[in-house]
Amino acid sequence: MSMSGNGGDTPVVYMEDIVKRFGTITALDGVDFTVNQREVVGLLGDNGAGKSTLIKVLTGVHTPTKGQIYFEGQKVDIPSPQVARALGIETCYQDLALIPLMSVTRNFFLGREVTRGFGPVTWLDMPEMDQQAREALKDIGIHLRSPREKVGKLSGGERQSIAIGRARYFGAKLLILDEPTSALSVGETHKVLTYTLNAKERGLSVIFISHNVGHVYQVADRFTIIRRGHLVGNYTRDEVTENDIADLITGEREK
Amino acid sequence: MTTIAERLRPARRFAVESPIAGPLMTLAVVFVLFSAFVPNFLTVRSISGIINAAVLTGTITVGITLLMIAGEFDLSVAPMMAMGGFLYARGTAEAGSVPLAILLALLVPAVMGLVNGLVVTRTRIPSFITTLSTLFIYRGIVWLFSGGQMFQTVEKYLIYDIFNGRLAFLNDMWQGANFRTATLWLLGLVLLFQYVLVRTQFGNHVFAAGGNPGAAGAQGVNVRRVKVICFILSGVMAGFAGILLFSQYTTVRIATGAGEELKAIAAAVVGGTALTGGSGSIIGALLGVMIISMLRTGVVLTNLIPADNFEAIVGVTIVGAAIFNSWIRSKA
Repeated sequence: MSMSGNGGDTPVVYMEDIVKRFGTITALDGVDFTVNQREVVGLLGDNGAGKSTLIKVLTGVHTPTKGQIYFEGQKVDIPSPQVARALGIETCYQDLALIPLMSVTRNFFLGREVTRGFGPVTWLDMPEMDQQAREALKDIGIHLRSPREKVGKLSGGERQSIAIGRARYFGAKLLILDEPTSALSVGETHKVLTYTLNAKERGLSVIFISHNVGHVYQVADRFTIIRRGHLVGNYTRDEVTENDIADLITGEREK
Repeated sequence: MTTIAERLRPARRFAVESPIAGPLMTLAVVFVLFSAFVPNFLTVRSISGIINAAVLTGTITVGITLLMIAGEFDLSVAPMMAMGGFLYARGTAEAGSVPLAILLALLVPAVMGLVNGLVVTRTRIPSFITTLSTLFIYRGIVWLFSGGQMFQTVEKYLIYDIFNGRLAFLNDMWQGANFRTATLWLLGLVLLFQYVLVRTQFGNHVFAAGGNPGAAGAQGVNVRRVKVICFILSGVMAGFAGILLFSQYTTVRIATGAGEELKAIAAAVVGGTALTGGSGSIIGALLGVMIISMLRTGVVLTNLIPADNFEAIVGVTIVGAAIFNSWIRSKA
């Protein structure tokens, strides 16, 4: 088993011996999971394997029945999504990322608006937010016609990229992309994969969750495969082929 | 050299991007057609009458539009308006305390709005059902409070003139004019609510809560809190409509305001607010109220159909405006 990352000694996240039971059902049975600094980890597994349970434990949606989480070497409790976010863990869900009827800028700063004002009377600083959003997106290679454009008019890939750019701008250290390419065309997928690599270049760690082995294979440094609540293994890209990964997911072959 | 298409680009941008472009065009068309073809329409008397007829519904529409943008409905505004009217009436005429009268007339409907909001956000029963229930419940509370009787006074207090008196200096300029102070209150509230909606953090969260509550929550917006505040504001505006009503007519009944909730929703939709939430404009809603009020007066003045039957025309307009607004949006 290989644990090689790209630089940095302390892993961003180390989840140790995670057990999660729902009543009599054991969703996760002692899984270890590591994300190193500036590393893209592909998290793979069939439906019901426990991928999303593992991610929900990491993002504070579920509390683990047993096990520890270390963030940048420190043991942490993550009882809520707010705590996860404060640590620097950002999740980009496909449907829950953006609001189509609102502009790029308004989406970008939603919940973290830049305001001006006197005392309790405050108002939005739209010019400042427009400029910040434009620059932050340009920084990871996204060029917009106008930050005032409604998100609903953008392509699926552009929307994903805005969510990625936003997470980076607000200081995320670990970005979780949940099925970011599942509804995209080939060209759009290519863009999202490029932005993912750009985010990594700029110091982020990424967990890339997907059913599509081909997409994960293009960006991930390492693959973590789980099956029926158990860790199958960790593999670097030079250790396995796409076909190997597919077999490992389904349990056709143990490696 | 610029082509005509290039010169028209800003206009086109406005037409497809501004939420009030649709209602503004509808208003212009209705106004021009009636002015050209209906005798006595383009007179100060008619215009001031159209505005006065729009003010009470307009006040309610301001609150309802904000709430609709947040993704919820309020069908219970009419008894809240009546409740505000009764509290203000008895506070001024019986208890003789203007501040107390105004405070209660706004506070009690606010609490009613709070109850609506808490029930909707805590039980997840759709607001349509929740406020349909409270429509009847609140009417019952008005009935209890009023003792089953209407309330009227012949007293003329200064406060009635402040809220809904005649604007003498304007009316003296034209014969037949009847401009009233309530119009200024409504204009002030429209501008305030529009500003809050598009230029504050709260307004941003209102759009987000209605546009995609899940995404808003994921970005740290307290969707429940935003919606509850909108329900409260809807109640406060209904209470204020009660104040304006009693200041003008010095009469309030249990059935006061009946049907206003649907007129307000219609005005909001004609004014470009999406029934599904997440999109809309307070100024647009004001235009919507004006369009409907203008139609009422215009149709009555034509004498083509009986005045009592003008509602049918309003119905046609609502559908027409809704189709027009969505067509314009599809061009964006």
